Formats: sequence, structure tokens, C-alpha cells
Amino acid sequence: MSDTYSWADHRVFAAPAAPDGRALLFGADHASLFAIDRATQEVLDRWRTREAIVLDDAPAPEREVLEALRDAQVLVPSAWLRRPAPEAIDPAAIPLGTLVLEAAQACNLRCTYCYAGGGSYGGAARLMDPELARRAARFLVDASGDRESVTLVLFGGEPLLNLPALKAAVLEGEAAARARGKQLVVSLTTNGTRFTPEVLAFLREHPVAISVSIDGPPDLHDANRRYPGARGGGTYADIVAGLKVLRAHLPRPPAARVTLTPDQWGRIPEVFDHVRGLGFVEVGIAPASPVNAALLPTPAQEEALFAGFGELAGRFADEAAAGRVLPFSNVLDLLARLHLGKVKDAPCGAGLGYLALDAEGSLFLCHRLAGVERFRVGDLDAGIDHAGIRASLAEQAAPRRAACSACWARKLCAGGCHHDNHVRESELGLPPGGSCDFIRRWLELGLQVYAGLSRDPGNPVLAFLGRRADG
Amino acid sequence: MKKKIIEALNEKAKAIDRLAEGERKTAEALGKLPGMPQGCTTIFDTGWETNPRPTYPIGNCQASARDFHGCAGDCWWPAQMPDGLTNHQDFDVACPNVARDWRNLKYD
Repeated sequence: MSDTYSWADHRVFAAPAAPDGRALLFGADHASLFAIDRATQEVLDRWRTREAIVLDDAPAPEREVLEALRDAQVLVPSAWLRRPAPEAIDPAAIPLGTLVLEAAQACNLRCTYCYAGGGSYGGAARLMDPELARRAARFLVDASGDRESVTLVLFGGEPLLNLPALKAAVLEGEAAARARGKQLVVSLTTNGTRFTPEVLAFLREHPVAISVSIDGPPDLHDANRRYPGARGGGTYADIVAGLKVLRAHLPRPPAARVTLTPDQWGRIPEVFDHVRGLGFVEVGIAPASPVNAALLPTPAQEEALFAGFGELAGRFADEAAAGRVLPFSNVLDLLARLHLGKVKDAPCGAGLGYLALDAEGSLFLCHRLAGVERFRVGDLDAGIDHAGIRASLAEQAAPRRAACSACWARKLCAGGCHHDNHVRESELGLPPGGSCDFIRRWLELGLQVYAGLSRDPGNPVLAFLGRRADG
Repeated sequence: MKKKIIEALNEKAKAIDRLAEGERKTAEALGKLPGMPQGCTTIFDTGWETNPRPTYPIGNCQASARDFHGCAGDCWWPAQMPDGLTNHQDFDVACPNVARDWRNLKYD
């Protein structure tokens, strides 16, 4: 008896820019991307509804196409579809790779969209004890198993409000990593208002990758990133001044981290150009999380967000055609992932090699979920609560399992941000899936841009993406 | 040369392509030599005589040594092996590596 074949989950996307009416074929299980001609599309259309296909039964010209689709693993042995789903990832099997220190649960700013409640993550403002920071850095290195490199993230609140803890953690982390022959990578996310001489001296002595939060031209930035109190003004002027000092002291420019509220989404390209013009090495733009109902976008605002990202993606493609890289982090990260066809069964590394530590020494699934008791997964004394991580991740995945299993983008997205889902579903009471359409549109746009780029295999931007994907 | 119907664009698609290329070659080779057997014979496990695997007994014919373990217990195949019923009940303990330790049994 001949083997029967069935269709694996796949999508065909029209590719308006492609030559000869070719379309894109995306294999959902492997994140594989192919180009197919019109004849192949027609065969796909004719055979799409068949459930058990015997290749020998197909007439010769069609059989050739079906065999090519089999080789592309779009048509697979029917038995494959009955294979049991892979087991959930075991958190205990993944050594710690990144530890985020909530070094200062305090902030000198009061940004309107802050998900950390003014930087404290609930409760009074407080600083991490330097001794705890030291233990945390050692904990990271000790728990990193066979990893050659570990990452310590200096975070807050505003981490530079607690320079003693940052110094303690970095010095201890460097010593511990050196003793074990590992590499320590340190990154810092700051609001850019605290580049004091002591801070600059510290940043000069230790290689730290710096991200500065800045939200575009003064009117947009100052609308949300403000000093506290009724008389507290915007911070734009101080940040630009701080940036100048930083650039004068450090060889490598920082990256920019932009957060925009829905009312600002119509000005995305302008924001990108403005921030890039300030000398940042790269600019990443994030829509503000809906930490309160006022930050939930209208459909028109969401459309503006997509249009803005789309315009920048188009500019990225234009630049790439000339062999240049437009330093827009969102597109770079997406294309690097699509370039390799990296698949994932969990949306992010939270709890799977990535944890955050709060000022009291408790571990949380990620930096954004610090202080939320149900996402607490151990502490420095008792160690990592792997059963707690497993339960927490399962609880997060449960309400979207059905939708994800039917979604073509599941292996690229795997369910979206835990924090975003948490605020939408637990705090605002919204049904799951509110971001799905946007995510799918963005991924499809990425596939189109990538497909255009891949038409010139010698383009140096492809090599750049490969290096970025490898980390 | 066969016309390429489907063009792999990203690295994953190219990897799947290469995989299929390899599989097709194997399938073609099998097609030219119909009935090529895989593994050992169905009844007479004469494959015991050779061992291409990098495990004990390494890389060559060790028929009698392999029989010691392979034909112990309730195996029906009549091969020469230590008398595990009366004289050498724990022969597997006495010679964990038969090829090296069989002299420990002193059964000749």
C-alpha cells in the first residue's frame, strides 16, 4: 500500500512585489519560507481540500509539484499529524542565563504609562541592598550551568538611583564569571537623567550596554515622561543634555527605547527620525502597555500604529536594497528571526533562563511582573521554584491554547507577552487574543520584507541579520 | 537538471531543502538495488558476527563472544556458551567484557 500524505499547516501569501506572480509559502511548523510560482499555487488550490493524498495517484505534472511540496514538508506523511504534541519545556532543565536586578524600586520620574507604578512595583520606594545585589550576581553565575555567557540587567525604577548596588553586582559578577571562565554581559536601562560624574566613571570602567528611554520630539516626550508633582515638568531637555555628556565620555553610543501612547501612534516615522538624529546606535519603538483602560487603543489608533511601523519597514527595505541597515530594532529583530526561521514553543525566556530579582530578594518570572505575587518564583535563599515557574507558564498558556494551535504564526509568537496578557486579561478583564491580529499583520509584513531582501542572496544586510540572529 | 518548482528563501527552508535532497538520493540508490536489506536477517541473527558500531565488541567479528550474552537464558538458538545452569551461573559477572574476560571462566 502506498503512503498517504496530508497537508501540514501552511499559509500562502500573495507577494505583490515579487516577479512573475510568485507567492510566498510559509510552513507554520518550521517557520520555513518558500517562493512558489503560479502553477504551484494552482496545484495547491486544487489539492488543498484532499485529506489523504496518495502521490502515485496524481497525474504526472501535478505529482511533480506535490513531490516538491512534500520535500518542502508542506505535504507530510499522514502519520506525522497524529504524533503527540511535544511536552512543555522543563524550566529545571534550562540554566539561568539572564538575571534582571530591580536595583532601585524607585524613580525620579513619573511617566504616565509606567507599568511599575512610578517605579516601585507597588509599595513604598526602596533600593536594593548592595549586599543583596552582590549575592544576586553570584547566584546568576552559580545557576548558569554550562552557559558560556551570562547577562546581568541593571533595571528599575531608575537603576542609577542606586549606584552602590550596581557597582557591587557588577564587580561580584565579573569576579564570579572570571573564576568560572564565563563571560559576563551587563546591560542598563535608564531614563537618562542621572549621568553624574560617579556614574560616568563607573560606565567607563565596565563595559555596559546602555539603553536610554526617550520618546521622540519634545512635545511627545514631555507629554508622558515627566518629573513628579504638579510642578514637575518634562524631561526632554535634561535627557538631551545627559546624552551629550554620555557621548563625550563613552565610545559606543547607547540604544534608544521609545514608548508611545496610542494618541501618539500617528507620528511613528517622525519619532524614529528625531531619535535617530540624536545619535543613538539603534531605535526600538514599543506601544505602551495598557496598564489602565485609558491606554487601550481604538481600532483607528491601532491602524495608525501598523501604518507607522509599515512605513518604517518599507524604508528598511529601501535602505537594505542599497546594502544599508536602517537601525530600527523592531524590524531588525523580526527579520533576524525570520531569516533563520527560528521557532519557539514559549513566547519569551521568562522563567526559562530569564528571571527578575526584586529589592527584597524575591525572584519573579520577568522584570515587568516583579511584585505580582502570583508570578513570584522563589528567592535567593530558597533558590528557583521550578514547579512554580511550570505552573505559572501553564496558567498563562491555558486560555490561548486553542487559538494558538489554530494560528499560522504560533511558532513565531507562541502566545505573546505574559505581562501584556496579564494586564489585559487579569486587570482589565478583556478576553484573550486582543493583540493577535496586530501581531499576525506585523509578522506577515516582516515575511514580505524578508522575501524581497532574499531575492539578492549576496546582500550584506542578510549576513548582518544572520549575525544578529546568532546573538 | 530538474526545474526548481519551489524556491527556499530563509535558512530554515534551505535546511529542509537540503534534507529532502539527501533523502531523495538515498531513495534513488535503493531504487537501483531492489530488495536491499536493512538491518540483520529476520530469523538467523548472523549480524552478531560483525559489529560496525563503536561499542563492544569493537568493530569486528566476535561471534562466539557475542553468543555468550546473546544466547544466554531462554534463547532458543543453539550456540556454544558457558553453562549458565550449573557451572557458570554468574558468568556475566565474571566476564563483563566477554572478548576480554572470557578466560576468567576456565571452562575448557
